[in-house]
Amino acid sequence: MSKSTVESREVKFPPSEAFKFSIESIRRRFVRALITAISIVLGIAFYVGLRTMSDIMIFIYGTSEAAKSYQLWMAIISLIVCAVGILNSMLMAVTERTKEIGTMKCLGAMDGHILMIFMFEALLVGIIGGIIGAVIGWLAGVLIYVGEYMNILFSPALLASYVMRIGEGIAIAMILTVGATIYPAYHAASMDPADALRFEL
Amino acid sequence: MRYEYTVETEDLAKYYQMGEVVVKALDGIDLRIRRGEYLSIMGPSGSGKTTLFNMIGGLDRPTRGRVYIDEVDISKLDAYELAWLRCRKIGYIFQTFNLIPVLTALENVTLPMIFAGVPREERMRRAVEILNRVGLGDRLHHKPAELSGGQQQRVAIARALANDPVIVLADEPTGNLDLHTGLEIINMLRQLNVEKGVTIFTATHDLKMIDVSDRIVWIRDGKIDRIEKRVDVVVGMEEV
Repeated sequence: MSKSTVESREVKFPPSEAFKFSIESIRRRFVRALITAISIVLGIAFYVGLRTMSDIMIFIYGTSEAAKSYQLWMAIISLIVCAVGILNSMLMAVTERTKEIGTMKCLGAMDGHILMIFMFEALLVGIIGGIIGAVIGWLAGVLIYVGEYMNILFSPALLASYVMRIGEGIAIAMILTVGATIYPAYHAASMDPADALRFEL
Repeated sequence: MRYEYTVETEDLAKYYQMGEVVVKALDGIDLRIRRGEYLSIMGPSGSGKTTLFNMIGGLDRPTRGRVYIDEVDISKLDAYELAWLRCRKIGYIFQTFNLIPVLTALENVTLPMIFAGVPREERMRRAVEILNRVGLGDRLHHKPAELSGGQQQRVAIARALANDPVIVLADEPTGNLDLHTGLEIINMLRQLNVEKGVTIFTATHDLKMIDVSDRIVWIRDGKIDRIEKRVDVVVGMEEV
């Protein structure tokens, strides 16, 4: 009996479907996502707040009043702590969903599809946490000076730098979340289906 | 092309190294499963049933021997082709149902069709049709947590059949179900086997499966002990 080889045929998982799946996963596990987002909010708020205050002081008094480097370092370290927290949270999430991942591979999912799902989840949480954190941070930075410098606070040059700082905050949030998720997502994606299905938490 | 044998295994073996000891989960299995056949593998715990399930399902690689699905040696498939095989040719049913908890019954059944590239309207239509066939037409939008064990397993059956596979593999499908529900599931599998002509392979220690199987393969310590046809077993029992 002759054995033939199968033609190359592909399993499709369009990003739009992966995205919907990621949203559903977050909705269903809302508290976990919320906790991750809160940690991003705090870290980003601290950073953006510090930078905003620094910008305002520079604008009014010149660069001698910029935030001290030790202050910036505190903010950066808090962001690193944040990233480590996300890494841990994502590793736990992947472990809890081991059976789910194994099942999806039985349905035809490939490693890249699993990776995509987790990366989308990270992106979503990162964007939302980033926006909220950046806005809160900016608000805090501005409100501190609202008593004394009310009139100057909204001059056009400062407004431009506010927008940039908020944008920077959101970008950092996304990079941090996605970066911290790469290892857990890679681990999820490379799971062997037989082992994954056998897994008991 | 229609192949006479959906599954063939040739001297299939799987050995695990546990420290100093080599555990022989499977030790030379030669099996041929005819298209449309309902075959049960029975044996005690640790006899190799689940290992055989994993081998045939392309979920694990054998230490020795080959598995052919529709005459294709699955060890020669690359990651893409293997994923395609699992998506289109094989349907899986598990003891613990393994439904995706964040998706509704309907979404669980459409998921494999998404992987198969079926357009949205058609997959909705087919999913509703299959779910109606297994008696869950009124629970399409329930999440697994809102379904009983038997209902979850029926969703799992519907999902396994979503892409019209050539074979459905079931690993202890009634393991987590009570007597009555287990019987329902067994009968449903048999009905679908007859209606759709899909080959069914069950690894189980539920003796109720004997009644519906065309052949029963008794396995012990990784080797086939004996193979019986249902006809022979029933006749044998009457003699007792």
